[in-house]
Amino acid sequence: MTVTGEASGPRTGPATVAVAAQGVTKVYGTGDAAVHALRGVDVGFHTGAFTAIMGPSGSGKSTLMHCLAGLDTVTSGQVRIGDTEITGLSDNELTLLRRDRVGFVFQSFNLLPTLTAEQNIRLPLEIAGRQADQELLDRVIRTVGLRDRLGHRPAELSGGQQQRVAVARALATKPQVIFADEPTGNLDSRSGAEVLAFLRTSVRELGQTIVMVTHDPVAASYADRVVFLRDGLLVTEVLRPTAQTVLDTLMKLEA
Amino acid sequence: MIRTTLAGLRAHRLRLLLTALAITLGAGFIAGTFVLTDSLQAGVTRQVAASADRVDVAVLPRAGHGKPGEAELAAIRRTAGVAEAHGLVRGPAALVGKDGKVAGDTPTTGVSVVTGRLGRTAMTTGRAPAADGEIALDENTARTRGFAAGDTATVLDSADRPHTFQVVGLFDVGVDQELAYTGAVGFTPDAARRMTGEKGFAEIDVAAAGVPPERLKAAVTAALGGAGHRVLTGDELAAELARVNGGNLEFLTLALLMFGLVAMLVATLVIYNTFNILIAQRTREMALLRCLGATRRQVFGSVLLESLVVGVLSSLAGLAAGYGLGAGALRAGTAFGLQSAPVDATLTPRTIAVALAVGVLVTVAAALLPARAATRVAPIAALRTQSEEREFRAGAARLVIAGLFLLAGAGVTVAGTRMPPGEQALFVVMGGGVLIFCGVLVLGPVLVRPLSAVAGWAPARLFGVPGRLAVDNSRRHPKRSATTTIALTIGVTLMTTLSVITATTRATYTAQLDEQFPIDYLVSGQFGRADAGGALPREIAATLRARPELASVTQVRGAEARIGDAKGRVVTYHGPYTVDLIQGGMRDFTAGGALIGSNTADSLKLKPGDTLTVTTAKAGVQRLKVAGVYESGKALVSGVVVPEGAFETYFGRLDDDRVLVGARDGVTAGDSRKAVEAAVAAYPTAKVVSTTEVRGEFDQALDTALAVVTGLLGLAILISLIGIANTLSLSVHERTRESALLRALGLTRRQLKRMLSVEALVLGLIGAIVGVVLGTAYGWAASRTIATDVLFRLPVGQVALFVVLSGLAGVLAAVLPARRAARASVVGALAAD
Ligand SMILES: Nc1ncnc2c1ncn2[C@@H]1O[C@H](COP(=O)(O)OP(=O)(O)OP(=O)(O)O)[C@@H](O)[C@H]1O
Ligand SMILES: [Mg+2]
Repeated sequence: MTVTGEASGPRTGPATVAVAAQGVTKVYGTGDAAVHALRGVDVGFHTGAFTAIMGPSGSGKSTLMHCLAGLDTVTSGQVRIGDTEITGLSDNELTLLRRDRVGFVFQSFNLLPTLTAEQNIRLPLEIAGRQADQELLDRVIRTVGLRDRLGHRPAELSGGQQQRVAVARALATKPQVIFADEPTGNLDSRSGAEVLAFLRTSVRELGQTIVMVTHDPVAASYADRVVFLRDGLLVTEVLRPTAQTVLDTLMKLEA
Repeated sequence: MIRTTLAGLRAHRLRLLLTALAITLGAGFIAGTFVLTDSLQAGVTRQVAASADRVDVAVLPRAGHGKPGEAELAAIRRTAGVAEAHGLVRGPAALVGKDGKVAGDTPTTGVSVVTGRLGRTAMTTGRAPAADGEIALDENTARTRGFAAGDTATVLDSADRPHTFQVVGLFDVGVDQELAYTGAVGFTPDAARRMTGEKGFAEIDVAAAGVPPERLKAAVTAALGGAGHRVLTGDELAAELARVNGGNLEFLTLALLMFGLVAMLVATLVIYNTFNILIAQRTREMALLRCLGATRRQVFGSVLLESLVVGVLSSLAGLAAGYGLGAGALRAGTAFGLQSAPVDATLTPRTIAVALAVGVLVTVAAALLPARAATRVAPIAALRTQSEEREFRAGAARLVIAGLFLLAGAGVTVAGTRMPPGEQALFVVMGGGVLIFCGVLVLGPVLVRPLSAVAGWAPARLFGVPGRLAVDNSRRHPKRSATTTIALTIGVTLMTTLSVITATTRATYTAQLDEQFPIDYLVSGQFGRADAGGALPREIAATLRARPELASVTQVRGAEARIGDAKGRVVTYHGPYTVDLIQGGMRDFTAGGALIGSNTADSLKLKPGDTLTVTTAKAGVQRLKVAGVYESGKALVSGVVVPEGAFETYFGRLDDDRVLVGARDGVTAGDSRKAVEAAVAAYPTAKVVSTTEVRGEFDQALDTALAVVTGLLGLAILISLIGIANTLSLSVHERTRESALLRALGLTRRQLKRMLSVEALVLGLIGAIVGVVLGTAYGWAASRTIATDVLFRLPVGQVALFVVLSGLAGVLAAVLPARRAARASVVGALAAD
């Protein structure tokens, strides 16, 4: 697998919005201790697009992602996943929404240590009590390239392999959107490249929508678009990014 | 280092709370036992002292010798330095209840009530009897038999002649166990002698005329000459009374302590497990300490210090709880009239020492192995991000050791069941049980996997993904699960053992009863009558025979005689009864022949055809030919059975001991009962029991015993449930991120809770399954040590109930941990490092 700085062109045709935030604010704590993690973010993520969120540490990337995914509640503003307005849903409704329409990949601790790779991949389907789309599953597993390691437990897999299993798990339910928070943060560059290539392939070939938080300009360059956060606000974005353009934008932001 | 330890303790306050509770309960029970029995003992001593205080010197008969009589009393009264002396009379004098029958299974005891300086009878209502026609009753008898001061009451004299008295007062028997058991009737000294027919005195109390007790004792001893009576000072008397009457308290202490020890054993497992888990969870913390330069010894010390603090604090709490428990039991005892006077709870230094020592030692000892494990943490572990799961592998050493324990245990147990029934066999079987338990303890982690597959079979299918994840989780840390469940296993094993023994005893007894009592009613007198003759006039049997409702009437009578070289009993019967023989036959059962029990045949080495000597007062030495042998304990008669005619030659014409009555077929139970009662109505000493009643009483006694023991074992079970709750909540803590991941992937709160409940259910079931299997085996083995031919019964319903309840209890234990797990925020948990 080769790592290129080249970004592919944006998708053609009328783009529908998979996830959208409108005037989203998030305040942690109250009074003097209040932290304004998000100060009014408006952003949309197109279906079938691979978007990266970047920004300095503490700028609110993770917070935004959690709010978009319904893992956390917003202080004000609205979030829509597809046609569903998720602000104001109950915990149970959010759980059902997550399990049916959202996939996750985390930086670390992505897999259940007691289950094999394959069991981990099938877990969300089983929780939802859904029949696996066997053809999709086969394709996903083939793309992950872990056919011979399916029976292994996480402890017997490398970090990169574990993360690929996590991505496969996210893909297996065919969610409307996959959120990935620094999926390559714990990996060396080679393993990171494998995972990123796999993410991009799933966007290209399976039409998957992916939103990824990252610190790494090279990782961001795999995306179709990069949005930049600073101090809880969306400040700029780069289309068809390369590692260099991303790096330049970051430098400007931090200056 | 100490500061770090204390900071750690403060940080894990909540996690250690449940552990502390386990110790508090165990130590509390032990402390409570001591508080209760010490207080009761103190009460006994105080009462005894109050009673014996009035006496300066007491004369008691020596065991096996005659009682002091009028001559001795007169001699004492003549002795210089004696102000006053009274003989105390004591002997059977049966009180007749309001139903016209003698009260109780044994006759009440008649005692003389002395008044004045030597008056030791504690009157609680009314006054002491002052005239021949007056009596006082002990409070308990008055209450149960419905008498009050002012009533008239009938008492039988030694020849069973009724006399009418006026009840003028009630008194307290104090610590006298014998009087408390039989009930007591107080007479004036003269009336007491007449009614009981006693010639001697049970005790002579002497008051001094200004002479020190020791000198008076010497003078009285001299006055009595070599009569061999015991002369005691008042203090010596008090000490003796306290010793004699406090004896059963020791038994109570021991019995309660046994349960306390079981509870402590369970607590040890719980504590061991908690510390183990805490250490495992703090691997990185320990490693960091090592990185920062802490030595192994320091790490070891810090864990032990932690356990010491927990042990001391929870033992202190246990001591307080125990004091409350003991005081509560005392108050309840007074309220229910179990002890006459209210007793204050006493906290002796011994109680404090024992409770603290046990609590602290158990805690620190349980923490030793975990502390050693903590020292093995490599400093490098601090740098690893995720603590990896280590696969448990059953080492060869573990299998070998477990195998040896199990083999030895099984061998010892089987040997125990092969021994002749008795206490010794029981102890051997118990020893085998301990060995097997050790084996199971060692093998536990290996057993968890297959057992969780069994126990989790249904839950995994019933509860979908949460169910399957739960079953996986239950076997994730086999050691942890094993220790958790074995704590529960102990309680369940003991409960099952007891219920098997109870069911087996019940079945065996019922079968024996059916075999032995092919009769419907038994008419008998009270036990404990001194004379040789029976208590039932022969007219009773004659009257019974005349009733058309009754089909068979058999009279049984017996008398004391010398059989061979020992004292024994010779019996005969009259009526349609045949003795079932296991050897010989009835052909030789004529004058000069005898039937003997298998016990006698064994001890005297006799078989049919051999000769047996029986010596009676009336007929001298008789040589009898053994005609047959019956199985001892299985026939309606016991002793040497001779034909009726021969019996009268040996002993004369005696009254009946018992009359066995069979109802005619087709007569209702009510009618036949009425017929029997009408026939015996005129005889106050004749009591009627139906065999159904006997069975009912026995059943009730068994049920009560089982209920009491189960209640006491409940403590051990409670502690093991705390263990399950503890393990779960620690696991929940450990798996916070995992739970968050599952929630992010779409597991609802309810499903997450269910997952933990199922895990607890599986743990509970594993514990119960092992317990039920062991308990059944040991119930069987233990009942074999009671008798060889027991009818083994497995109370399937009860045992199934234990399993179900254990499962449910497990689920209950999971409620709080599950709630905590479900409440955790997904984002927060995932972010946590
Ligand atoms: N639970 C919380 N309570 C209080 N403040 C919080 C909480 N979570 C995040 N914050 C604050 O909100 C701000 C945004 O945090 P966030 O985790 O979103 O940053 P980030 O962009 O993901 O940073 P990084 O790149 O370091 O992961 C930070 O100032 C952070 O301190
Ligand atoms: Mg972040």
